[in-house]
Order: sequence, then structure tokens, then C-alpha cells
Amino acid sequence: MTLDFTLNGRPCRTEAPDHWTLLDLLRDGLALHGTKYGCGEGACGTCTVLLDGEPVRACLVLAAHVRARVLTTVEGLGQDGEADRLQAAFLHAGAAQCGFCTPGMLLVARALLASDPTPTEHRVREALAGNLCRCTGYTKIVKAVLAASAAR
Amino acid sequence: MRLPPFRLEEPQSVPEAIEVLARPDGEAGVIAGGTALVPTLRLGLVRPARLVSLHGIPELRSLRVDGQALEVGATVTVATLARHHSTRADWPLLAHAAGCVATPAIRSTATVGGNLCYGEAASDLAPALLCLEAQVRVGDSVGERVVPVTELFKGFYETAVEAGEIATGLRVPAVPREARTGYVRFCPRSAEDKPLIGVAGLLVLDAGRRVSELRLGLGGAAPTPMRARRAEAAATGQELGDAMIRTVAEAAAAEAEPLSDLVGSADYRREMIRVWVRRLLVTLRDGRAIA
Repeated sequence: MTLDFTLNGRPCRTEAPDHWTLLDLLRDGLALHGTKYGCGEGACGTCTVLLDGEPVRACLVLAAHVRARVLTTVEGLGQDGEADRLQAAFLHAGAAQCGFCTPGMLLVARALLASDPTPTEHRVREALAGNLCRCTGYTKIVKAVLAASAAR
Repeated sequence: MRLPPFRLEEPQSVPEAIEVLARPDGEAGVIAGGTALVPTLRLGLVRPARLVSLHGIPELRSLRVDGQALEVGATVTVATLARHHSTRADWPLLAHAAGCVATPAIRSTATVGGNLCYGEAASDLAPALLCLEAQVRVGDSVGERVVPVTELFKGFYETAVEAGEIATGLRVPAVPREARTGYVRFCPRSAEDKPLIGVAGLLVLDAGRRVSELRLGLGGAAPTPMRARRAEAAATGQELGDAMIRTVAEAAAAEAEPLSDLVGSADYRREMIRVWVRRLLVTLRDGRAIA
């Protein structure tokens, strides 16, 4: 099947087999390896991307369901190789250790800050609740998101 | 890990979806958001030759108030239901229960119709919809029938929606003006997990502060979501003193038929039904806000 959608701000037309998920399309069809395969059942959050601005699990969404929609992956955050404000806040706070959960964390945080530019710490923790990190203990991730919001 | 191959059908209308589903062209399943079905496919628990996606059918995405009732299309997402101004204003029980489902990135994808048709015993939406006495519209090649949610759940992950049928939406009647409603859930692991048990309640007290109506919807209390009819009957006409509330909670625990799974044992579930029915009834009686 042919799929037309907007990928990281640019029109994208590509082919995919019927049974591919969005994650298969990103990693194997489009060679965008920033989005990670974790649990494959929607529990860990590391494959989170934004569809029409809302976080979704790429491992649960069929590739066909992105037709005519606006998709943002971690590759779409920075510009010209420069980290965006949120990514810079993650770097500054040391919010990544192994880095496997980081793309999902960044996108969930991006969606939160788009809907609530000055969230409370509680709101940040609620937004991140579906994304597992087995290294950092979350404190630095929460700090980074709050720093990116305060810096606006 | 790839899903086993299937052919994807993408009808643009409900009649077309029903026609495509009925074609003698290999076993077909129905997919809406996919949050429950995709992991099931990945594990190889179901292997349909074809999947009929409801994604491209605009009429199924409609959420609106019709007269006194809320009309919810089958593919309205759980997130949309939770944040819609009408749900929040006039069906706060439903908005709150929808906001409890899983995590933001699941709620943005999971659909109301999919949640019900999956038949999960520990669904957060089902206890609320059982209390609100919602009605599910089910279509097939002959026409449309209406199934009360109270008759939807037939067995473990089994509903009254038959092969060849599609649940197209549900109608949620107005909440009685004087009713107090609430939903509580208990998660022994983390909040984004499915709950061990959930309890939805709708309570109407008469002028003498006696119970004129109590509805209790339970999740995780049996192989299917259920109404606690014996507990409801025990409360009707009674004044809700602390002793009476204990009696009602005992009745709910006694009529529960819970299963054991990785979230918790049957005994633990029965005990938590007793505790959380009691807590919810105290809160509703005292008129305190839930969440």
C-alpha cells in the first residue's frame, strides 16, 4: 500500500506491507532508527512518537493509520544538527544514561509542553508515567522537562 | 518483531465495512485503535487472514450530545472521551473513568468501541458504562440492533458482538440530576497498569436520606465486568449508616466471582472489592468529590 503523510515537517510518500506497524515503517522502511523497539506491547513507551501532536505507541499503531496525518519522531526535534531547547535541557541535566528511553521521553515531554508550557512537577510526572527508564530513577528527566519549560 | 502477515481492508463507510467483513475471502477480524489487538497478533494468539480497519470511517469518530444522551461513535478515542467538554460537564463518572485508562499514549489511540469489544474484565470504562446503563449499537448485513451494556459481556474476553457484526457506537443516557457518581480503582503495581479491581457507583438518596437507587459496576471482579445486583438490592430503601455500607460491601464481595492472574489472586480481588465498595459508598453518601 502507498502511504502519504507529513514526516517531521516534510511531505512523505512511501510503500509498506499491510501488516507493518508504524514502528516497522520508521525503522525498516524509512531507516529512522531513533525510535526504539522495546516491549512490543505498548507498556514501555520507548517507541513513542507524536501523531497529530499526540503521543502514540509506534509498536501498536498500524502503518496504514498514519495516512494523511502529521508525524513527529525524535529526528524531527533538532534543526541542522543542533539540539532543540528540550534536548539541550536533557543534555544539561544528565537526563540520559543508556539513552534507550530518551527518544520516547523527549516526545512525551514535547507533547506536554505544547499543551501546557508551564506544567507543575506533578503534571510532568503524570505525562511521563507511561515511559519506563531503568537507569536514571527519573529525577533528572523530570528536572530537564521543568528546566525546558521554565526557559521559555 | 513483525506481526504475522494479513491483508488490510480499509472501508470508508459502515455498510461497506459490514460487506467487506462478510466476504467469503479468509477469516476476518476488526481493528480500531489496535492497542489491544496488535499485541495479541504479535503473540500469535489470533491469526486472521484479513483485518477490517474502521479507521477511515468518519461517522464512527463522532462524539455529540443528542437530546439528553451522549452519542459516542465506536472509534472515538478514550482520550477524546475523557477530555470532551460534554462528557466532563454532564457525565463526569465516564470522563473520570476514561482518564484512568492506561497512559496518555494509549488513551490517544485506544477507542471506546475497542475497549468494550475486547471484553477485558478489568476495563476502566465498563464499570462506568454499566452504571450509566449505556446501550451499544451493533450492525450487520441485516440491520442494526441495540445491546444494553448490561447484556454485552458474555464470558472471559467474550461479548455479544458476533462474527460478522460491528459495534458502531454507544448511547449513554442522561445521569439522573440528583445522582451522585464516582469511580475508584485499585492498582497494586503502578497506576498505568490495568487495575486489580475497579468500582463505579451511582447513588440516589431520597428526601429522608434513604437509598432510592444504587447502581454498582465492578471491574476485575469476575471473568467479565459486572453489576453487583445483590449489593444494590441490599442497599435499596435503606439508610446508609456505616454498618449498612459494610453489609452492602460484603454483599458485593460475596457475589463477585474473581479470577487469579498476574495482577493478583482471586482472594485478594474479593477482599479489595469489599474495601473499595465500602470506601466509594462512604464518599458518595457524604457527598465528597471523587478525584
